[in-house]
Amino acid sequence: MDEENLQLEAELKRLRPRALAPAVEARVAARLATRRRVAIGWWVALPLAAALALVVVPWRPAPEPERVPLGAAIAPDPLPATKPDEYKPVAAENLLYAARDEGVVTLADGVQARRLRRSYVDTITWRNPRTNASLTWSVPRDEVRVVPVNFQ
Amino acid sequence: MEAISHDESWKSWFRLHGPKLLLCARQWTRSLADAEDVVQDAFVRYWRRQRSLGGDPQALLLTSIRRAAFDLARRNQRRTGREMRAEGGGEAAEFLFEPLAEADDRRRAIEAALQRLPAEQREVLVLKIWGELTFDEIARQLDIPLNTAASRYRYALAALRRELSAADCHG
Repeated sequence: MDEENLQLEAELKRLRPRALAPAVEARVAARLATRRRVAIGWWVALPLAAALALVVVPWRPAPEPERVPLGAAIAPDPLPATKPDEYKPVAAENLLYAARDEGVVTLADGVQARRLRRSYVDTITWRNPRTNASLTWSVPRDEVRVVPVNFQ
Repeated sequence: MEAISHDESWKSWFRLHGPKLLLCARQWTRSLADAEDVVQDAFVRYWRRQRSLGGDPQALLLTSIRRAAFDLARRNQRRTGREMRAEGGGEAAEFLFEPLAEADDRRRAIEAALQRLPAEQREVLVLKIWGELTFDEIARQLDIPLNTAASRYRYALAALRRELSAADCHG
């Protein structure tokens, strides 16, 4: 790149994009706060429900001890305590399984555009390193691209 | 780009990087209000669901913003021209960059020259300079070959330079 382009590039980098309106940050805060309230509600509600269930269920005498085969009586190895007991994302993939050209469409402002539709399956896998349990989530997704076209 | 790590840090991250995201979003939307909406939606989605995926948050957010902008364009396509006119259509005196204490005329000239660039050159320029993406990331973002991204960038700089020289000559 020549010297003049480098100078122009440096000049452009010095320009700071306009700040977001405070209302945008306020709307983001409100939406995130709504979610957090719901999350806290569950965290409080579930232990409360569990505690309540313990209180309500009537006490019963312990059953007579049973004979169990030796193999079944051996407790499993304790889970390694060093690994965190939480799910972490380990893989994410997008599978493109169809692509269609839906032809030329006219946008609201009269511009001619070509509409391209791609169909994916997004798959994300989480794994708990402590228990080695995994959870896979797959969801279909359509991506539509509207590409303006020029007829010359 | 640093990860957004703590729950309380979203505001400082959003204030620092939000303006760049807004400028990029503006390349794909019809109005500033639409750009603000897609930035807001993308950020909330990122914060709630995609934060744990790791990677560069800005690149992920730009992908999300671009998709949201196209979804919005598709929804807007269904609206009648009458509805659009009722909303006022365009926006007067919209500016893209913070005014400069000195040489603000130059900032205005650059903004005007940017507006006159072909859209495909302008979006590459904006993603490179203010989106801070590499040509490789831009190519993947726009689904174009890497060489095309690089050449659009060069054409954009050259065209911008010509526009600004012409503006200087005409005062």
